[in-house]
Amino acid sequence: MRPFLAGLRALLGRHRLEQDLDDELNAYLEATVEQNLAAGMSHDEAVRAARLTVGNIEAAKDAVRDVGWESRLESLWHDVRHALRGLRRSPGFTAAAILTLALGIGINTALFSVVNGLLLRTLPVTAPEELVVLSTRGAIEQGFPAGWTYPMWDQVRKRTDIFNGAIAWSVFPERFDLAQGGESQFVDGLFVGGNFFDELGVAPLLGRTLRVDEEILGSVRSHVAVISYGFWQRRFGGAADVVGRSLLVNRVPVTIVGVSPPEFFGPEVGRAFDIALPVGAAPDVLSDNRWGRPDGFSYLAVMLRLKHGQSGEETVALLRGLHRQFVEASMGPGELWGPNHDAQLRDTFALLPAATGTSELRRNYSQSIVAILAIAMLVLLIACANIANLFQARAASRHLEISTRLAIGASRARIVQQVLVESLVLSAIGAASGLLLAVWGSRLLVASLSTWFDRVVLDVSLDWRVLAFAAAMSAATALLFGIMPAIFASRVAPGAAMKVGSVRSGRAGVFRVRGGLIAAQVAMSLVLLVAAGLLIRSFSELAAVPLGFDSDRTLVVRVNASRAMSGPGNRPDLYQRLVDALVAVPGVTHAAASLNTPVNRGATLVADLTVPGGVPIAQHDQRVVVNYVTPGWFEAYGVVLRQGRAFDGRDSARSMPVIVASDAFVQRFLSDRPAVGSLVSDMLDAPSRRDVPKTIVGVVGDVVDQSLRNKPPPTVYIPLAQFMQHPFAGTPFMSVPEASLTVRAATGATPQLGRGVAAALTAIEPNLSFSFQLLADQVDAARHQERLVAWLSGLFALLALVLAAVGLYGVTSYAVARRRTEIGIRMALGAQRHDVVGLAIRNTIFMTMCGIFVGLTAAGAVTRYLQALLFGISPLDLISFLAAPLLLVLVALLACYVPARRAATVDPMNALRCE
Amino acid sequence: MSGDAMGSDKQSGLVQGTLDMLILKTLALEPMHGYGIGVRLDQISKGVFQVNAGSLFPAFRRLERDGLIKAEWRATENNRRAKYYALTPQGRARLARAAKDWETQTAAISRIMRASLGEI
Repeated sequence: MRPFLAGLRALLGRHRLEQDLDDELNAYLEATVEQNLAAGMSHDEAVRAARLTVGNIEAAKDAVRDVGWESRLESLWHDVRHALRGLRRSPGFTAAAILTLALGIGINTALFSVVNGLLLRTLPVTAPEELVVLSTRGAIEQGFPAGWTYPMWDQVRKRTDIFNGAIAWSVFPERFDLAQGGESQFVDGLFVGGNFFDELGVAPLLGRTLRVDEEILGSVRSHVAVISYGFWQRRFGGAADVVGRSLLVNRVPVTIVGVSPPEFFGPEVGRAFDIALPVGAAPDVLSDNRWGRPDGFSYLAVMLRLKHGQSGEETVALLRGLHRQFVEASMGPGELWGPNHDAQLRDTFALLPAATGTSELRRNYSQSIVAILAIAMLVLLIACANIANLFQARAASRHLEISTRLAIGASRARIVQQVLVESLVLSAIGAASGLLLAVWGSRLLVASLSTWFDRVVLDVSLDWRVLAFAAAMSAATALLFGIMPAIFASRVAPGAAMKVGSVRSGRAGVFRVRGGLIAAQVAMSLVLLVAAGLLIRSFSELAAVPLGFDSDRTLVVRVNASRAMSGPGNRPDLYQRLVDALVAVPGVTHAAASLNTPVNRGATLVADLTVPGGVPIAQHDQRVVVNYVTPGWFEAYGVVLRQGRAFDGRDSARSMPVIVASDAFVQRFLSDRPAVGSLVSDMLDAPSRRDVPKTIVGVVGDVVDQSLRNKPPPTVYIPLAQFMQHPFAGTPFMSVPEASLTVRAATGATPQLGRGVAAALTAIEPNLSFSFQLLADQVDAARHQERLVAWLSGLFALLALVLAAVGLYGVTSYAVARRRTEIGIRMALGAQRHDVVGLAIRNTIFMTMCGIFVGLTAAGAVTRYLQALLFGISPLDLISFLAAPLLLVLVALLACYVPARRAATVDPMNALRCE
Repeated sequence: MSGDAMGSDKQSGLVQGTLDMLILKTLALEPMHGYGIGVRLDQISKGVFQVNAGSLFPAFRRLERDGLIKAEWRATENNRRAKYYALTPQGRARLARAAKDWETQTAAISRIMRASLGEI
């Protein structure tokens, strides 16, 4: 500390200190002179002798000044100013280098901001490192978030002897409809336990947060809401009197009691809630009274706060000991539940660290974003090679300056420091401008992650990690492009510049180094091109996946009938009446209803089925996708009918239960046995309930499910009219408050069509709420991630290609300019034009070839890390590995051709005269 | 860079790193200005150590910054202004420690230099 303070004092009081030193040394000199006079010398002798003994006064001063660290700072500051002056003198070079660096560092920092927000940032709550998510082994294996029933949550939360506290919230993204009726206005919703905000330590910005007693299911007191800061601003313009106002959430009035602080977005990274309601309000808001029942959905995510000093392993061991007790207390005796109960018991607790929250976005995107960041870093490396080339050329032109300075006594260390400082100054300016770019770029990137279904919200504001990353990037790039000029500068012979003609010597080595840079640049560009090729090809493969349906001119209307006049038992009937009304709307060619639609990001209904007399199959292969559809659904979607018939008016609630099976279903359950006429039993029906096997009446083509990456699953379709035959139909478990109406238009789905559809729906049932979506948009959203990754990698590869071309062009131009005289002589002696061209580009082409060879080898070694992002092609895909080098050679030839042509047009006489 | 300053002491035969100790010792007797310290070192060592300004002044700066000596402008005996250095309590403590170390080391070194086979 003392040297630091002393240094600081020295820096601040530099003037006084200098004066002091001068005075002291003068006094010393005078004293010496006096002494000499006393010894009998003449005045002149005395002074000369004194000067001899004292030595070089200036050198002594320097030695004194060098005592502290501040002298080094001063020389650094001097170098910085020198560098700035030098950069200002060559604005072209400076602008090119700074622009390249700003772009490179900016892109990298933008991507890192997203990585930071997605993977590294902790939740903005009290002691986030103590938080763990309560999950199960099975859920972790399958990579899904664990959900718990309300009774289970009620059991777990009481055990504060094991942990410090517990919070719960709705595990699936919830969309709240704020509209009175008719077309929905969705916002992002969240159901939370009453202690949610308090336990996380999130204090309200306005009003209060929620209370524990508001969690009691179905109580009117629970009709309260905490709104987010963003929603407050958007919807209420930040009105100060917002607390106490009322909101309609899914047509249930709730009172706003508070506003959460701006930095708090909820427990899930990548998503932000607009409205948080206590879990107690869920039965009313979702018109679903199965909450609180052990057979309700496993709907709650649960997070625990570990006891201070207790590890996750200790906590999970204690919880596992209580597992059976929890399950039995929340489900009742096992006999009621059969295999399901046993499965619950087998799948024991596990804990996941949750300091950074939970995130579906993270699960989906962390690999892609890290891969893209790696690609962007490669682009920056390539850019560095270009700047190194520019720098090298500049350093070479300063040969004279450096050798002169060496000759008059500058130390080599000082010269090297100066060159490095110059590159640091350059990269620091680049990084600073890059940061501005990054702030904008990371927001753009986050915005482009959103789809019609997911509003992605991610905190990408600058924090110490992002700033440290940018600083590290800037230092690393400065070293990368500054180290070679620095070495070069340190090898200059002192005074070499003064020898005639020697300015030209020693350049061959430099030229070799630049050739090496070109080879490295080509190699890296090739790796990038191959990677981008693979990702783009993956996307095109995904885009070519047969959907099994036709998404043209098709509108999907999601309707919610929970406030409809007709009761839950009549909903299938209501949906059929809506379809009938839609067919009559002008411009509509087909209309049909179904519980689910493909690629709609909603839940999928599944069942475990067997076909007596079919192929024997393992239990875990019995699960199939089930959809309930009205007649005309297959026609509306353009699904191919392979055998038998589709549904029609004959299939009613009272007629024989029938199903239509998909190709994949027949493949798995029947192989080549005749499908039409076979009977299918539901495993769940079989032991105790109304076991009525269904007859297959038709077979249709495969339709993709939620993800295009997965093969279409075995699927069965059941007439919606026969929905009430489902063992659980009519129970709260199966009250189908929502369904999808699919409308195919004659000529494109226009806004007019939407208006007609809305009018027809409200005419049948005024209390209906609904939302529109183009089927084509849903299909696009299913390919969103792959498209984004392909687009970004393609963009970066293009950038790399341009950078490599600029590098090649620069090196060839330099070579041509350098050999102007030689070329002139050769031409004067009768060399042909093509000889000259060959001469000019031979070296560059050779280096390019070396680079391509190295690049192909490297690409072959690294592309397997992209495996998880690829679809339908191998990491060693031949097309990508052939196209990339071809493209690169083409661009390289073009980049060399222009300067080579210039070489060929050299006028021999001119070239010779120059010398 | 401060290493360069030490290197110039070679011709005066000063053991590296001992200049600081000698200055402290000189100042322990009485506060003194730079020239006086140089003369005193020369006198006491009977001309063996002739320390020039290039070594002396960096050493003053170093010791002052470490808080071992403090400086003050005063009038000399012939009425000129000079910068007088004096030991601080820390400087006194450092000198005592350095002197002790020096004793131990030189004693050990001279034992080794005097050693003959018979003694081992």
